[in-house]
Amino acid sequence: MMAAHRRNILLALQGACVLLIASCDPAPPVEVMGEGDVVHLTYWCAQNPQERALATQLVETWNAANPDVQVQVQPLPAGQSSEEVLIAAIVAGTTPDLSSNIWPGIISDFIRADGVYPLSSFPDFDSLMMSRVPADLLARFRAPDGIYYQIPWKTNPIMLLYNQQLFREAGIEQLPRTYSEFMAAAARLTRDLDGDGHMDQWAGYRRTHPIWHERRFDYYALYIGASGGKTLFDEGQVRIDTAASTKVFSFFRDVYAHHYFPLTTFQTSPILSGKVATEFTGPWQIGWLDENAPPGFEYGFTPLPVPDDYEGPAYTFGDYKNIVIFSNTRHPEEAWRFAKFLVSREADLQLLETTKQIPVRQGLLTDSLYAGFFARNPKVRPFAEVALYTRGEDGVSSLQEILDAIAQQFEAAAVYRVYSPEEATRRALARIRLIHEWNS
Amino acid sequence: MELLSPKSGNRAGYLFVAPYLLHLLLFFGYPLLFAVVLVFNRWDIVTPMEFVGLKNFGRMIHDDLFFRAILNTGLFLVIHIPLQIIVALFFAELLNSKLKGRTFFRTVYFLPVVVSGVVVTILFQQLFAFDTGFINNVLSALGGERVPWLVSPQWAMPSIALMATWKNAGLYVILFLAGLQNIPASLYEVSDIEGAGTWRKWWHITLPMLNPTVVTVVLLSTIGGFSLFIEPYVLTGGGPLNSTLSGLLYIYNQAFYFNHMGYAAALGLCFALIILGVVLLQRRFVETDVY
Repeated sequence: MMAAHRRNILLALQGACVLLIASCDPAPPVEVMGEGDVVHLTYWCAQNPQERALATQLVETWNAANPDVQVQVQPLPAGQSSEEVLIAAIVAGTTPDLSSNIWPGIISDFIRADGVYPLSSFPDFDSLMMSRVPADLLARFRAPDGIYYQIPWKTNPIMLLYNQQLFREAGIEQLPRTYSEFMAAAARLTRDLDGDGHMDQWAGYRRTHPIWHERRFDYYALYIGASGGKTLFDEGQVRIDTAASTKVFSFFRDVYAHHYFPLTTFQTSPILSGKVATEFTGPWQIGWLDENAPPGFEYGFTPLPVPDDYEGPAYTFGDYKNIVIFSNTRHPEEAWRFAKFLVSREADLQLLETTKQIPVRQGLLTDSLYAGFFARNPKVRPFAEVALYTRGEDGVSSLQEILDAIAQQFEAAAVYRVYSPEEATRRALARIRLIHEWNS
Repeated sequence: MELLSPKSGNRAGYLFVAPYLLHLLLFFGYPLLFAVVLVFNRWDIVTPMEFVGLKNFGRMIHDDLFFRAILNTGLFLVIHIPLQIIVALFFAELLNSKLKGRTFFRTVYFLPVVVSGVVVTILFQQLFAFDTGFINNVLSALGGERVPWLVSPQWAMPSIALMATWKNAGLYVILFLAGLQNIPASLYEVSDIEGAGTWRKWWHITLPMLNPTVVTVVLLSTIGGFSLFIEPYVLTGGGPLNSTLSGLLYIYNQAFYFNHMGYAAALGLCFALIILGVVLLQRRFVETDVY
């Protein structure tokens, strides 16, 4: 009786072990489908209403045309950030087949976790990419092992949104192009409206909290512009353009020294309430402004200012979101087919129409398919013009910590003027090297 | 009947405590054990753990920011605890007097305690805003200078301590009120006969009799103060110039922004030992003074 009991326990333990090992298998086998079988894919899109609407439309179109591959769309599960949710899903082995909301800065972590499928292993990957993305831009998305794990899908170039009425009232006829011109405009835009000796209207505003992601839209965007399109790394090595970095720190130092940007918190949108005249932002703002701006609110977009001695195209930071196929998919071929559909010309038009965000596609402004959209949406056009001059973040590990190192120096040098801009660059560089060595 | 026998009684007892024990093991014991394992490892969640021995502690010794965070937390406690005691005691004394509408005021003072910390913090963010905040607008309208509540390294932590005091005072008011109501009236009657004034009665009767409550308030405020997180996380992000970076916020950043799980666990262990040390010291000195 006891022996049988022990045997049952051993069998149960053995079964549990088998289940455990099976559940830990990092590479699920590709499922072989018979004729007439229907493949089901799960696709995670971003949570915002516009992208959910876009994903739903695209999936409906796909499902109607491809009865053998049926896609179910789900918005990314709620979490503090998409990246946290995706990392948790990779660790837990609960990723979908593919997702289109992937921040390139997190890809290196996904690769280290064996969480993403090598897309360049598909024979038509190169031809698809070459038809869509310029070679030098595409190369920036190549992993250190030489493989591509992501399709550049859309980019949100950061530009300067400005309130046309406030510019008119300040007598500014020429949009600022350089740092000096911006400073001159800022001096006229920052005003004490009620005569109490305190400013009530400012040239712009940035949250100065020393948090890594805040600096992507000010320091980093201007750094890319000042350096002529360089990022912080090249071929996996720290390659900061120290001259450009120092110029950017100096620019913000002047801005805060003259109080052109306030050190405060606003309850409502400062650009809509007329408290600030400019904002560093992306094309997503157009749809939001169309819905929320008061009648008569006039606005436009212009490239971010560059150093006075800068010559060349107006590069800026592009907040890229890319497509990946996760390595636990049982249907990589079908997932690849669907991914190609997501970056087709027609899907890109749908992306523009529904979200007003910019697909990473060369010839966007010359392709007749999109001409009607740009004619109806002239405010989106400047973003499309600079889309291929955008740079994202480097795909290196510990990017958050690297940007945090910059955020610390930004606060010290630009906002509080504890260090000189040169010293801030030197300190940021030393810290970034240390972080990179520690994590390499 | 079998259940009532001494032996089966033990079994029933174990069964009754089993759900709690299971919960304790699963949600406290396991994470604690896991944290101890993490201390000796490098782990970024996505790749397997790598044993690094005592390297995390070595890194901690050279981490100026961690020591800065500990000092900031200490500064917060130094401001917050005395302020908390004075404010709570003042309002408890008021509520202990024959005040009209006492029940209403007790509810009002307790209200901030039950309101979400994030909500209170966002409210104070608007009150404390330098250029556009309500308090500075009032000060400015009255001809005063604007106060850089959250944007000056000197002012930021005291401002957070002020806010935390407002948020938590209600709880300690209730504790002090209970303590005040437990003081025997006969002590005051005797002192009246002896001709003691209000101040002497308060100093020689009320305060000594409240000492056990003071000890409780000091310990609770200390432990609560070491948990300072939501306020700097929402209000300042640890700035300006790391002046509001609390120990817990720094550990959180290391763990969940930078995925340094092993290092964060080592920081957490060190932080827990510091809290233990401070609380033991407080008990030793404050309790000695009490009796």
